Amino acid sequence: MADDWTTRINTGVPNPARIYDYFLGGKDNFPADREVAEQVVAIAPVARDIVEDNRAFLRRAVRLLAGEAGIRQFIDLGSGLPTQGNVHEIAQAVAPDARVVYVDNDAMVVTHSRALLAGDNTAAIEADLRDPDSVMRHPEVRELIDFDQPIALLLMAILHFVPDDEDPYGIVARFRDALPAGSYLALSHGTRDIPARPDMSPEAMAEMGAKVERLYQLTTASLVTRTHAQVERFFDGFDLLDPGLVEIQLWRPDEADALLPGGFYGGVGRKR
Amino acid sequence: MTESQSEFGGPTVRRMLVGAQLRRLRTEMGLSREEAGEAIRASEWKIHRLENGQVGFKERDIIDLLRLYGVTDADEVAAFLLLTREANTPGWWQHYGDLLPRWFRTYVDLESAAALIRTYEGQLIPGLLQTDDYIRAVIGGAQLDEPSEEMGRRVRLRMARQTLLTREHPPRLWAVIDEAALRRPVGGPEVMRGQLERLIDASKLPNVTLQILPFAVGAHSGMPGAFSILRFADRELPDVVYLEHLTNAVYLDKRDEVERYLDVMEYLCDDSEPPGRTVELLERILDEV
Repeated sequence: MADDWTTRINTGVPNPARIYDYFLGGKDNFPADREVAEQVVAIAPVARDIVEDNRAFLRRAVRLLAGEAGIRQFIDLGSGLPTQGNVHEIAQAVAPDARVVYVDNDAMVVTHSRALLAGDNTAAIEADLRDPDSVMRHPEVRELIDFDQPIALLLMAILHFVPDDEDPYGIVARFRDALPAGSYLALSHGTRDIPARPDMSPEAMAEMGAKVERLYQLTTASLVTRTHAQVERFFDGFDLLDPGLVEIQLWRPDEADALLPGGFYGGVGRKR
Repeated sequence: MTESQSEFGGPTVRRMLVGAQLRRLRTEMGLSREEAGEAIRASEWKIHRLENGQVGFKERDIIDLLRLYGVTDADEVAAFLLLTREANTPGWWQHYGDLLPRWFRTYVDLESAAALIRTYEGQLIPGLLQTDDYIRAVIGGAQLDEPSEEMGRRVRLRMARQTLLTREHPPRLWAVIDEAALRRPVGGPEVMRGQLERLIDASKLPNVTLQILPFAVGAHSGMPGAFSILRFADRELPDVVYLEHLTNAVYLDKRDEVERYLDVMEYLCDDSEPPGRTVELLERILDEV
């Protein structure tokens, strides 16, 4: 995280949100971001695919939540820079009355989200998910979200920026306890676990993960990959929907062509 | 430069300008891309690529297309071909020193092809949001000393340009306006009240985001002057920075230069009041006019 004395926006320091934007083919990234992103791609040519796969996982999860799960309230934690197919667009295409709050602690992300995403039934706030109360007590969250009705909490590709010493499990539990029964948690998370990939050896995959983690130490948020068991723990108190916590590419894919799995785990759970 | 070489040159502002003008001429004739393609024995896709400035132009194709689009005046065709030739020459940044109507027109074409228009204005209300009375007052104040029919033409041109925001599939306008531009009583209190009301209405459009940069910020990154950044939907097209001066306009599309402006724009947007406060602030200023 940036120190307090740094400016709120610093395009000279590599930033995970803008690196992600670069992977998605966006134009809101700067040389420092591209330098790291290109090094990541050099080490892990699949990085771009994984990021695309993550967006596709988000789409499928939100469609399910707004559709058959009947959810009308979404809190997207660590929402990132606006792109094609943002959560409110996906949700409102299924359920026009769906309400969405985008939450991010990055000033540039919040500026863009307020300008490009906020509108009727949609808000963007600046808050840090590591302080759950600052999110849940935020006036704009209180205005849009009814904590007596089921809520979908989205944690897409964000908890791997919260190291263990910042208590990621405690953070998720704090949110969970504030949600009414029947609410949902949808998350994806980077992993170094060995997928059954025909094109990579287990050693190569582990080595690649370690190198990518080292590169992210140059950015404003370091990356911590986790194992299947570690990611599954985030779902304590939730019942995982089929097919459970799996590689995002294998989570209810809607294309006939099987995508190569790996990189991120994803799942959707319903609060007991 | 042969076409095959320029195919790899990447799109430049000039190509995008030529392409945008071809698109305007075609749509004014009510022709589809497919119909235009037939005239030059090419596919709909080729026309799409030409109009996006993604491929070099063959002179014969341009002549055929211009004929199809009803451009037959020899001087006009020659001027267009000159622009086409320049467009085929790779060059990252271009300097348009033409007469006002022409560069203004080319900007309008480019602007209408954009998906996102980010603009910062320190002194003026952004052109896309000016009322006709405000435009008249600005032109009057500039002491351009031009005949009234010329002024009428300019006002009409600017008003026509504004239909962009309410057309089908409009671009998004994200504007930062310095409080100074809102406080200066251009044309007197009556004109300014009308202008502020116009801004309040505009900020309620779903595709318009207005942010006010308050005096309280003090010195800020946009002080060197107004600028606009045009972003196009196509991933391959670079952002273009547009700077308007008294006698000409400058377009920048060299990445490092554009990024300086993007950087400044980020600071300006962060320093400004969030868009959710704009209506309230405009109403307060309106009360004080």
